[in-house]
Amino acid sequence: MTMDSSRLSRRGFLGMGLAAGVITLTACGSDNDKASSDGNATAANLVMTVWGGESDKTAYQKRIDLLVKKFPELKVTLQLIPNDGYAQKVQTMIAGGKGPDIMQVAESVNVYSSKNQIQPLDELASKAGIDLEKRFGSIGKLYSYQDKVYAIPDRSGAMIVFYNKTLFAAKGIEAPSADWTWDDALAAFKELTVPGKQWGYAGSGWWAQWWSFVYQNGGKIIDDSGKPAVATDEVIEALQWAGDLIFKHGVVPTQKQYADMGADVGGDAAFANGKVAINTTGFWGISGLTKSKIDWDVAPLWKGKQQAVTAFGSGLAVSRTAKNPAAALKAIDFLTSPEAQQQIIATDQDVPANIEVQKSEAFLKPAWMTKPVNMNVFGESSGFVYRAPFIPQWNEMQKAFDDGLADFWLGKQDARTALTAIQKRLETIVKPA
Amino acid sequence: MATALSTATPARERSTSKERVVGVFRASPFTYATLIVVSAVLCVPLVFVVSIALSSDQTVNANTFTILPREFHWDNFTRVFGTDLPMQRFLLNSMIISAGAVIGQVLSSGLVGYAFARLRAPGKNALFIIVLATMMIPAQITMIPQFILFKELGWVNTYLPLIVPNFFSNAFNVFLVRQFVSRLPSEIDEAAMVDGLGFFGIYRRIMLPMLAPVLIAIGIFTLTATWGDFMGPLIYLNDESKMPLALGVQYITSTSAALQAPPWNLVMVGSILLTLPMILVYYLGQRYLYEMDISGGSAGVK
Amino acid sequence: MSRLRRREALWFYLFASPWIIGFVVFLLGPMIASVYISLTDWDSFTPPKWVGLQNYTRLLTDDPVFWKALWNTFYYAAISVPLGLVIGLWLANLLNKQVRARKVFRTLIYLPTLVPLVATAMIFKMVLAPSGPLNDVLGIFHLPGPSWLLEAVWVKPALILLSVWGAGGATVLLLAAMKGIPRELYEAAEVDGASAIRQFWSITVPQLTPIIFFNLIMGLIGAFQVFSQVYILTKGGPNNASQMMVPMLFDEAFNFYHMGYASAISWLLFAVILVFTLLAFRTARRWVFYETEVK
Repeated sequence: MTMDSSRLSRRGFLGMGLAAGVITLTACGSDNDKASSDGNATAANLVMTVWGGESDKTAYQKRIDLLVKKFPELKVTLQLIPNDGYAQKVQTMIAGGKGPDIMQVAESVNVYSSKNQIQPLDELASKAGIDLEKRFGSIGKLYSYQDKVYAIPDRSGAMIVFYNKTLFAAKGIEAPSADWTWDDALAAFKELTVPGKQWGYAGSGWWAQWWSFVYQNGGKIIDDSGKPAVATDEVIEALQWAGDLIFKHGVVPTQKQYADMGADVGGDAAFANGKVAINTTGFWGISGLTKSKIDWDVAPLWKGKQQAVTAFGSGLAVSRTAKNPAAALKAIDFLTSPEAQQQIIATDQDVPANIEVQKSEAFLKPAWMTKPVNMNVFGESSGFVYRAPFIPQWNEMQKAFDDGLADFWLGKQDARTALTAIQKRLETIVKPA
Repeated sequence: MATALSTATPARERSTSKERVVGVFRASPFTYATLIVVSAVLCVPLVFVVSIALSSDQTVNANTFTILPREFHWDNFTRVFGTDLPMQRFLLNSMIISAGAVIGQVLSSGLVGYAFARLRAPGKNALFIIVLATMMIPAQITMIPQFILFKELGWVNTYLPLIVPNFFSNAFNVFLVRQFVSRLPSEIDEAAMVDGLGFFGIYRRIMLPMLAPVLIAIGIFTLTATWGDFMGPLIYLNDESKMPLALGVQYITSTSAALQAPPWNLVMVGSILLTLPMILVYYLGQRYLYEMDISGGSAGVK
Repeated sequence: MSRLRRREALWFYLFASPWIIGFVVFLLGPMIASVYISLTDWDSFTPPKWVGLQNYTRLLTDDPVFWKALWNTFYYAAISVPLGLVIGLWLANLLNKQVRARKVFRTLIYLPTLVPLVATAMIFKMVLAPSGPLNDVLGIFHLPGPSWLLEAVWVKPALILLSVWGAGGATVLLLAAMKGIPRELYEAAEVDGASAIRQFWSITVPQLTPIIFFNLIMGLIGAFQVFSQVYILTKGGPNNASQMMVPMLFDEAFNFYHMGYASAISWLLFAVILVFTLLAFRTARRWVFYETEVK
């Protein structure tokens, strides 16, 4: 017995030593990588991680092929990671001491930048002669943290309005436009609603939707000093308006009504089967609808006191452990150039972030489009995009909204009560830098 | 013998032969009724899976699925194979990884479980508590330290982290074998001991044949778990050419934007492709699980 | 210790060495690392900061979600584990009869555990819709069907329902064990005129107790660590009404990057499971029937 326990404890001790050793090794291991890096300035083997499915792989690979053709000294290995596992895989890679050289980032970009896991790119970009504002317009510095740019925009499209042309024509309503006010929108929703059967609007329960209204109303989720500001009158009024559409006016389906339409049916599916007349969503709605039976078109989002709309997209960042940051940036520079960005259109993947490409004929009349659709909305909307607060605690903030608004979206709580509670919770989560 | 029983007619059951069905094992109409109802209820969702797998993209976009299939887009199945993804390669990788894992678990688990059930040693109980305790730590929390460990071993982007640990058994299987062995009468190994068989001889000659069903069960469990696992391969593998089918299916079903609805028909096709081999394995494997004559050799017990 | 006993002990350690080596090489290090991490503030990127027991005290005194998740996990385990055992035993007993096409029946009953969870979750959302098939059935009996996944009160029963759907998984081991019960026992009982139910309780169940006990322990550990079902079906919502321990620690570790906090959760969960497992082992002496005493 005694012999046994002493043996075990010795092994235990060894194990502890191993674990501790492993952690220290990682901590310095990564630095060693960096130290031994800045050798060859031109040639580089780059690992690039992106998320998505099989079609995204095609789109990215085509762009990389163009890159390698033009700059044979750059070798880029694409690692496609399924959406659900992306953050975890990248986290493990970095924790293991070696992140990807180039990584796709989006709303949670500042998880990495605030922890110095990706590099500030201002200097490299200006050295390479990239004018972010000129190339990408208002979203040029979207992925910034403490006034430094950490990722170059790659894909970016504003949220747009999808409307059912048949239902609109039947009621003699004109197409939605950027000039619609909240009241115009509400009036149209009401016209287009047949209680229990058809709804005017798909709703705005998703942050990208109701935040647009918040910013239209002059509110902010995080104020300029970096503090949460969701219990302000502007935010409360906007959220209440969104909630009233469901419970006061009945022009948006309730969660129960959605659940009865099918599993995971949200605005996109409800719009595609003609149950709602207006839906606000991203570019992906278009490719989903090209084969649909309904007659539809797109328009820019309406406005409140001012124009504001959420944009969806992603950028490309250079990791701290990249051996050759200059080469990585050179690759990103090319990947976001008009030549490479054309492929995003050709493969029907997304909206290219490059303004010039967004305005090109290829984008306005894509080869795969089966009917005339007002693709100009993306260009038109790009000026209205507000800068969403991509704080380092983005995921926690979203969880706070999900939890705190659960009762609100069921009609059991008003916006002021819900948001006051959320504000309290956010104050413990968000610590201004 | 058991197969003969399964085809026995009621007339034969009444015969006085030794293979006569004991009363409790006789199936009444009520047994059939219950089994049919239960199976039907369990099957409804699966019919649903097939129905969705066969539906058109339009139905998917509008999310207007029905339980019974209305459309038959068999091309959804060919579409999955028509992608750029090396599906055959994925399948092969799945088989390599699963086979390695199954072999490892079957080889090691019987040995360790037998030791915990039968052999006496100081510190055994303490060690057994540790065995159980390792199961009580959620795997998610040791994932990053484990990754770091495998990285230090230089095993990242190889099959090794997915296969090698299986050669050291795991708590679940050790406990399972222990429970199975503890049901067997100890006279058997005591008699063998008297006959001069050593401990390894007892294990190999006597225990192993009797443990066959539980080892096959372990094989099936390991196979299904490894076959369907995509988190492990996701974390440890980087090259597409090394990835298993479960990860390949993730690629087919992943979307470009986070809130985009997945192509449900392809999700279900992928699920079917992943499930079908396992159904086959279970259907064919149950013969060895349940119908083998495992009591042979047990003193006087037929 | 006699020479023979020493030889036996040696063989024990030899036979057990695969597990011992595997444990020391692959598990012990990561486990100790996670104890250390639980005493730090670690985002998994930058070096960990030592905070002592702060993660634990915050969890126990200052995190309402933790207590909610703990309660939900208890609720889920307390109902789903016994229910799963009873249903598994009942199904195994049915499948053990000389039923025609029993291979097909066995496969169908085991099938739910084989289908990937993504597919299962999607189907369950449709079945559990407010006007879905399940509520239609309830309607026949004039029971008002709830909005299962949308209501805080009903979301946990919905998850338990999902676990019951997979109860057939337990039949594999039970059936394999049932096959090992000597037929003579039943034949003798039949001669004595014992009814089928009597035989089930006085022969089948006692002979199966070691496997039932195994299923109980595994069920407990599995239920306390329930993850994917929750993560895919409800994400812990609405407002954490279905949040459980492992989904919570997963969020903390991989969405919020609080690796230290998540590790602390996992060790508290470890303690809870350990207490329940030891309790089960305590009671086992009274009802688990071993052919040979396991020492």
